[in-house]
Amino acid sequence: MEIEDLLKYLVEHFNAKISIEKDRNFVLARVDKYSYVNVAEFLFKEGFRRLLTVSAIDWLSRNVIEIYFITYNHVMNVYVKVSTEIPRDFPEIPSLSSMWENAAMHEREVWELFGVSFIGNKMLKPLFLENWKGPPPFRKGFDWREYVVKEYGLKYPPVPKTVYQ
Amino acid sequence: MKISNIFKPFKTVGKFLVEKPLTFHFPPESPVFTERFRGRHIYHPELCIECKLCGIVCPNNAIDFLFEKDEKGLVHFRTQVDYAKCCFCGLCEDVCPTKALEMTNFPFLVAMDKKELYYSWKKLSEKPSLTLPSIKERKGLIPWARARSFWIVNYFTGCCFIEAVPWVASSFDMERFGLLATASPRHSDVLLIGGYVTPKTLKRIIRIYSQMPKPKFVLVLGNCPMTGGTYWDSYNTIKELDKYIPVDLWIAGCPPRVENVGYAIFLAIWAVQHGYTGKEEYVNTEHGKYALPYVVPKINKDYNIVEFGPQHPASGNFNILLKLKGERVVEATPNVGYLHRGFEKLMEYRTWCQNIMIVQRVCVLDGASYELAYVGAVEKIAGLEVPERAKYLRVIQAELSRIQSHLLNLGLLAASAGFDTITRITWGDRDKILYPLEYMTRGRVYQIYNIPGGVRYDIPLDFVDKAFEVIKYMEKRLKIYDDLLFNNQVFIDRTKNIGKLPKEMAIELDVTGPNMRASGIDFDVRRNVPYEAYKDVDFKVQVLQDGDVYSRALCRRREIEESLHIIKQAIGKLPKGPIAERKMSRGGYFSFMSSIPTGEAIHCVESARGELCFHIVSTGGVKPYRVKIRGPTFDTILVALPKLLKGVQVADVPVIYWSLDNCPADHDR
Repeated sequence: MEIEDLLKYLVEHFNAKISIEKDRNFVLARVDKYSYVNVAEFLFKEGFRRLLTVSAIDWLSRNVIEIYFITYNHVMNVYVKVSTEIPRDFPEIPSLSSMWENAAMHEREVWELFGVSFIGNKMLKPLFLENWKGPPPFRKGFDWREYVVKEYGLKYPPVPKTVYQ
Repeated sequence: MKISNIFKPFKTVGKFLVEKPLTFHFPPESPVFTERFRGRHIYHPELCIECKLCGIVCPNNAIDFLFEKDEKGLVHFRTQVDYAKCCFCGLCEDVCPTKALEMTNFPFLVAMDKKELYYSWKKLSEKPSLTLPSIKERKGLIPWARARSFWIVNYFTGCCFIEAVPWVASSFDMERFGLLATASPRHSDVLLIGGYVTPKTLKRIIRIYSQMPKPKFVLVLGNCPMTGGTYWDSYNTIKELDKYIPVDLWIAGCPPRVENVGYAIFLAIWAVQHGYTGKEEYVNTEHGKYALPYVVPKINKDYNIVEFGPQHPASGNFNILLKLKGERVVEATPNVGYLHRGFEKLMEYRTWCQNIMIVQRVCVLDGASYELAYVGAVEKIAGLEVPERAKYLRVIQAELSRIQSHLLNLGLLAASAGFDTITRITWGDRDKILYPLEYMTRGRVYQIYNIPGGVRYDIPLDFVDKAFEVIKYMEKRLKIYDDLLFNNQVFIDRTKNIGKLPKEMAIELDVTGPNMRASGIDFDVRRNVPYEAYKDVDFKVQVLQDGDVYSRALCRRREIEESLHIIKQAIGKLPKGPIAERKMSRGGYFSFMSSIPTGEAIHCVESARGELCFHIVSTGGVKPYRVKIRGPTFDTILVALPKLLKGVQVADVPVIYWSLDNCPADHDR
């Protein structure tokens, strides 16, 4: 399959919104949350054997979380990023671990840092943090600069100060 | 097996006896010290126009202003620098319109009280000077014996440890002063804390500290444990270490230069010789909050549980739980997060330009690749066209950085296989590579050389001669590595057919870089998706078929040769012209506080450990909205390593682990 055919198939069958960077062979595709896993299955069958990452973006103003994965095809020499949006208050999406084996570990990271649960992923337990009791730390609502002043007693202000004699 | 292969290494080592030693005699001479290094500032109050730009641009809030009246009654804002916070990025020097604040190459900043590192404007305007303490005089036999046999706990806590490495290697050789790195805290006198400390690491540090016999001394490298340093707003690093354990000596820098570490060692020897026995141990609540509970392990007849790391000579700050049946590993579970700083969100708090000084700190072993990936993604969003000369300069920097990273890894692999001589040699040679790298970029470990749109400095006139000198030297040394390591029958027997990574598994688990190429996959981002000037230089992608530990080591050794070849070509083809472009194609100019247009971009580069991608989202502000770093070691270590370790002998665990070239800071971020 050529890149053009691939893009055509994505648009026709999954109603994807596509943008492409031609010189570096990067395809950005946006799909709805119901066809997210189907797109992943399709790409996996089409020879996208490497999964680079699964990650999330917290869009606070729109109250959604964007979940995306990036995958690569050796034959076509193309990177594809597929993204979808899920509600921020109820972040749940099927896991990709049935296709790519390393997806489970990336999803575990997103689960810990963004509080997104992946249905079908059996690995969802803390990865980096030990006994963390706060909110998911990478969400936009959690202000680190406020937190470090409270938790670690940081004394100096976050702006350059002027000392008056 | 050839008998001659066994005697060849002896012959090569025998030649070293008559050659000039690699060791720099510190003190009194220290020849790797270049003029261009970014060290302590010098302030010229008569030139200062008091615009306060240096304070605005500083990412760590290290610069303060003193408001005062002079003799004539005129009011002034004087610049003062806190070296407990400064990260020596040089942004303040770059923005200063009158060059009132300049950086000297003076790296010696050590204090027993961290308040001494706050430099008032008067102290800052003095020319820096140093007198090393004499360690010849002594008071009593016991303090003298104690000072001359410091045993240091082998715990690589953070990124500043990279500057303690030359002291272990032949280049600085700490064993001259009786210093020895040791694995057991119960036999150690000195706890050397290298850089930032996360709560997870702090628990282990407190445990190790409590196990050390008295008198014990704590030396702290870097600014992060003093005030938070670069990670002052990270949710997962400790800001003031002296709240939890007593600290004897603070060594400032980010990271402190190797000579500064030497100065600190001298001060410690001097103090202990004069009867100093360390500070009192704390008994307070802050300490107790991070105390690790003692757990008695359950005895199982079928298997044993062994923890590999984080305090282990061959692990880095990384832990893997090994379930053993006899000598064989049944199951391996990585336990990470000892170096997690939350980099991706940390970058959301800083401006596009301030991020260039933080981004290479993700992985200290190969910072240049992280710079390249970040600026590449920003350039795509902003529409910045990089000048040809800058592209070539970036290639030179990236390849020099790749060589030093591979040399470090060869040393670690050799050490874990029991070849300590190679470790001393490769790490010593790494210092030689750092010399042209520093001369070109003004930074030794963290170069901070790239900015969106180009590079910060042009190369000095005599850089080419100095670089070629080192390239020639390295080409000779590679033959020595062959004799001592790659043609050595003992090493071959130790590493062949161990830790085999099949081709299919490498693709499916997304193992990249030399680990992937050693398994027979012909993929290199530099060739397949070329960036910068890689499409104009000629190089061969090194592919080996076996996929075992030996192939991975050999692949790195061949890549060093290939990188030297690339550098020679890049220097030869270096075009003339500007080194940076500030005009953005979508309108406006890129500057220190400017915003860039809305958009998103992915940029992938070939780092020393594999494919490194940055995905950046901009919403048109002065700061990124989201940065995702796809590090090369995440899948290799967290997914592939446990599979490789299944069924191997426990003695092979360190060898397999280092053959994958882990950087714990990269997968933890």
